[in-house]
Amino acid sequence: MRILSHCVAAIVAAAVFWPILTYPSAFGQLQIPTLIEAEADAFFVEKVKPILENHCWECHAEDLEDLGGELAITSRDALLRGGESGPAINLRDYAASLLVKAINHDVIEMPPGEKLSKAEIETLTIWIALGLPWPKSEELAGPESQGKAELVTEEAKRWWAFQVPQRPNIPAVKNSQWCRNEIDAFILKGLEDRQMTPAPEASRQSLIRRAYYDLTGLPPSIEEVREFVNDPDPHAYEKLIDRLLASPHYGEKWARHWLDLVRYAESNSFERDGTKPFVWRYRDYVIQSLNDDKPYDQFLIEQLAGDELPNATPETLIATGFYRLGQWDDEPADPKQAQYDAYDDILATVGQTMLGLTINCARCHDHKIDPITGKDYYQMLAFFTNIRPYGVRSHESVLDASVQTLSRPGFEKDNEELMQKIAAVGAQIEAIEAKAKQDFIPVEHEEFRNPSRRNELVQKRVGKLITQEEFDQYVQWQRDRRELQQKLDDQRLPILCVKEHGPNPPPTHIMIRGSAHVLGDEVEPGFLTVLSPPQPKIDGPTARTSGRRLALARWIASPENPLTARVMANRIWQYHFGRGIVRTSSDFGFQGAAPTHPELLEYLATQFIADGWRLKPLHRKLMLSATYRMSSQFNPEYAAIDPENDSYWRFDMRRLLAEEIRDSILLMAGQLNLNKMFGRSVYPDLPPEVFAGQSMPGDNWEKSSIDDQNRRSIYVHVKRSLRVPILANFDAPDPDFTCPVRFTTTQPSQALNMINSEFMQTQAARFAESLGDLQQDPLGELVARALARALQRDPLPAEIEKGIAVVNAWMNDDQLSREQALKNYCLLVLNLNEFVYLD
Amino acid sequence: MPRKVPNFCGRTRREFFWQSGAGFTGCALAGMLDAEFFAKFGQTSARPSDDEKWQNPLAPKQPHFPAKAKAVIFLYMYGGPSHIDTFDYKPTMYGMDNKTIEVKTFGRGGHKNQGRIVEPRWKFKQYGECGKWVSDLFPHLGTCVDDIAFIHSMTADSPIHGSAMLQMNSGRILSGSPCLGSWVNYGLGSENENLPGFVVMLDDKGGPISGPKNWSSGFMPAVYQGCVVRSEGTAILDLNRHATMTDSVQRKLLDTLRDYNDAHEALHPGNSELAARIASYELAYKMQSTAPEAVNLSQETEATQKMYGLDSPKTQYFGRQCLMARRLVERGVRFVQVYSGGAHNDDNWDAHGDLVFNHELHAGETDQPIAALLKDLKQRGMLDSTLVVWGGEFGRQPTAEYEKGTGRDHNAYGFTMWLAGGGIKGGVSHGKTDELGAAAVENKLHVKRIHATILHQLGLDPNRLSYFYGGLNQRLIGVEDVEPIREIIA
Repeated sequence: MRILSHCVAAIVAAAVFWPILTYPSAFGQLQIPTLIEAEADAFFVEKVKPILENHCWECHAEDLEDLGGELAITSRDALLRGGESGPAINLRDYAASLLVKAINHDVIEMPPGEKLSKAEIETLTIWIALGLPWPKSEELAGPESQGKAELVTEEAKRWWAFQVPQRPNIPAVKNSQWCRNEIDAFILKGLEDRQMTPAPEASRQSLIRRAYYDLTGLPPSIEEVREFVNDPDPHAYEKLIDRLLASPHYGEKWARHWLDLVRYAESNSFERDGTKPFVWRYRDYVIQSLNDDKPYDQFLIEQLAGDELPNATPETLIATGFYRLGQWDDEPADPKQAQYDAYDDILATVGQTMLGLTINCARCHDHKIDPITGKDYYQMLAFFTNIRPYGVRSHESVLDASVQTLSRPGFEKDNEELMQKIAAVGAQIEAIEAKAKQDFIPVEHEEFRNPSRRNELVQKRVGKLITQEEFDQYVQWQRDRRELQQKLDDQRLPILCVKEHGPNPPPTHIMIRGSAHVLGDEVEPGFLTVLSPPQPKIDGPTARTSGRRLALARWIASPENPLTARVMANRIWQYHFGRGIVRTSSDFGFQGAAPTHPELLEYLATQFIADGWRLKPLHRKLMLSATYRMSSQFNPEYAAIDPENDSYWRFDMRRLLAEEIRDSILLMAGQLNLNKMFGRSVYPDLPPEVFAGQSMPGDNWEKSSIDDQNRRSIYVHVKRSLRVPILANFDAPDPDFTCPVRFTTTQPSQALNMINSEFMQTQAARFAESLGDLQQDPLGELVARALARALQRDPLPAEIEKGIAVVNAWMNDDQLSREQALKNYCLLVLNLNEFVYLD
Repeated sequence: MPRKVPNFCGRTRREFFWQSGAGFTGCALAGMLDAEFFAKFGQTSARPSDDEKWQNPLAPKQPHFPAKAKAVIFLYMYGGPSHIDTFDYKPTMYGMDNKTIEVKTFGRGGHKNQGRIVEPRWKFKQYGECGKWVSDLFPHLGTCVDDIAFIHSMTADSPIHGSAMLQMNSGRILSGSPCLGSWVNYGLGSENENLPGFVVMLDDKGGPISGPKNWSSGFMPAVYQGCVVRSEGTAILDLNRHATMTDSVQRKLLDTLRDYNDAHEALHPGNSELAARIASYELAYKMQSTAPEAVNLSQETEATQKMYGLDSPKTQYFGRQCLMARRLVERGVRFVQVYSGGAHNDDNWDAHGDLVFNHELHAGETDQPIAALLKDLKQRGMLDSTLVVWGGEFGRQPTAEYEKGTGRDHNAYGFTMWLAGGGIKGGVSHGKTDELGAAAVENKLHVKRIHATILHQLGLDPNRLSYFYGGLNQRLIGVEDVEPIREIIA
């Protein structure tokens, strides 16, 4: 049995760069005979049929339910009709036939593995050139239907997620006093239908901790907890939520969710894994947009087409950095294919993140599950194909294709001196390099193109072509130049953004089996057929772009789009409750999970739009609900009926996210730098073992000041090929692909890191020092302070006793000093389950 | 007829939970559990026993069919060794040095149609009963040819290190997919929970380009990623107790931590993840003693150490890696990848400059240790169940890269890899390149055929081993079904 599997396209394996000339040369000598019908029939039976029999029919005729590539080789008509890659035969130009390419192993390899013999290939080619004679009497049983079954049927169009959300009625419930708002009615209705009752309300201590982490990614201080717990104001909780929603730390927490979805990374992957210039401005844009409660429709439009807006601003231009976040091979084996891989990466991200659909599955063939055709894919792709590729090989090309400066007029005049300085240092650097290059062998010139390799190549010449002093100066000058350049950039305001080739987009073609080298019909930009969309309204090109992306953006960010609001409302729910109402939050298609509360999702989506696509009212609504305020109290009986908690009979506990864990540790140690927001990314010190995995240890990992290193994790540099252990260990996603739901793994490497790493040892020491006078203060007090700070509650006497006992044991049995023992105790506290789990 | 095959993208339960963020009850570890466990757990309010708490994602799993090999040692010749100077004998090239000929090549220097021949720089001799021709670079390995299946017709999609290495390691020329070792551990788990299931050992000259991307678990959870293990210094990142901490101090810390966590858990029943986290600290503690023992080569006899070349400065580093690889496999590690070559240029097999200097260096470092590994595995009866794979991301061109010198550019049109043990035939050679070694001409094999063969020998059907991600059933071998290389399977 053939087991089909999907592709992430791109992988049109072997053919990618294989010389395409193997067969045209053979055709040069091909003699096409002229045959009468009887001769043609005989040619089929004697020459062609044995080849089909031996090499083709097993996959393309024997099992009609499981035809390879859905291509039937059962009759002339079947071949002309073709399979999922389109018609197999081009009668007007036999050499252009897919079948001819396939048997020559060009783009597609058929039969897979061993090629047919030269003679067999010639026979089949002649057969096609003859017009594909296939006598009726020789036809095999073919698929019943004529042509491919229609994918985009009326039934498919009726799929629940493809309907514009309608505001549902609020269900009537028995225990209506429990409900604090509409959300609760939907949840309670579900519970009552199953004869269940919601868990009791969580304690105020649990609630404030939950709310703090959910909105800011940080814990409250013990003082804030005490104040809240003792606040007699019945609206204390509402006020707390409003205060947290107004906190600038809200954007720092929620930006991370969006960055997961858009696969935010600050480097390109592959051999050089170069740093993306000024990409952090996009991260800052996301934080600021969230803090401003920018309407989500506007947020999407700015990222997709901020440059095409009539009132484009620096902010909307920075937003288009969205297009520059993906991986980039600066040295692709097949540049054309790589260009379309990059477009595919964009469409995959847009489709899954904004529309909750895996449009990318239709790159090589029609979608296997969803009603999305290959044509749909290329129509959608056509909105992007005028985008200039991220770069061509060099860093300079990236600056040209993806960076623009927003400096004010007169900037150059004002900074003349600075620019001259930069040029002067540059000249000094180049002078040293010129000396060193004198005895370069060719391969070294090659290597020199990579800036990361230069120091090593120059250093090799110390004592020969240059002096040690010159080399030291060389290194210093490079540092100087970097600093001067940053100074200049602070005023020049270079941004990473989208650019197009110009107002006139190139034609977009369907690509057979996803290969950029085999073009099918031309397509125009268009939305997904199954959504019965309007024609794209392209206002016309701008001076520099086609205007297509704005048309796409307006359609995606429209209240008539059935998916956009639903998908986002579901995500907001997911990030508060641990799972979406649709658990597959980036897949609302046929294979996605069904919503556990479909009407609630309708309600949230319509409410989201009614609130002007603002997130904060939605957060508020969710968090003020009785549903959100439930405790995590266990009920074995309910767990037996509903182990996944589909019906929300309790609040699910959650482990802190990787960033929350790291930030909280720094906060406990009194080290978290919360004063500084935004700006260039920071580089925490990493152990040498981590750098040892690189081909140039420490390459592209800068040295940050301790103050900077201790900034929140959202500001930590995201390097595709070098992950910060504590973040990677706790499931910060690999940024190569969009991540809608993070893993929550538990593994021993986390424990090793949390006990033994230099980072933890250092933070535990700082934590201990900040508790008071480690020599003089009573042990019980020090222990109690540590526990109260980490757990944000007043510790129980037994817990304090336990702490005193272990500190004493360390001092008495192991002869540790009081400081050392208390440091170890702080380390222990940072490892408590209660510290890393939210109740 | 639209054929909506329900299991087409059918996820396993585990993938479903991960994909859908099943929250606390369906946490990652619980995600590893099967339906029965879930039901059982859901119904019990009592605390599970210690055994049940640690549901190791790497717990051994049944293969699809009986396996020939239990473990893999992948000797990765980073940079791309020249096949015509090592195992792919091209007698007609001798005497053709410096002759300019028409030949299509594609390497770092782009597409070319002609070039200046660099005659193979070493003589070849016949070895073993099979009479295999092996170059003088590998006098020790020559004595093992009767246990080896050579594949001379390898091809890859890219002749550029970055993408080609990703393909050799993860099946794709793009970044972000799980590596072979991740797939193997995902499919089979590991035999020893106190050691990582996917171990990577680097050359002392440095890591390969793209660094950890070469052992990344991509879109799979981090538990399947490769773990770098060192023979000197810290064996595994963060494995060693901090300098200020003795065993007794750490033990007290862990015991008290457990006390606190137990009390916390008692107040929060029905949350399996809490128990799992408690258990994970005990496992980490066990790893602290198990892993250093596994890499402690002083337990080996002097004769063994000598056999691996630990007594010679040239071979001692790679020899240690090979000996460690055997010890790790002995202790149940599923997949070990050992890099020969690191960093850039002549620090690895990337012989763009001086071919002789480069290959003498790297072959000199590895020949004796690799031969020792094969013989040692054999004498211990482990070769039958250990699949040894040798090769780089591509081979090298028959012609010179530059006007002067012997440097060869990359060649993905044809190159050699070899396999030994783990149910692979010995003393055979499969596939051919043309008379210059410029391109595979007979039994052309793509990298994914090697991947399929490795999975197959481990009892995994390469066409069935899939992981649901991004709306797709992802497979290591890609979209089209792929056959293992049956001709070399015993």
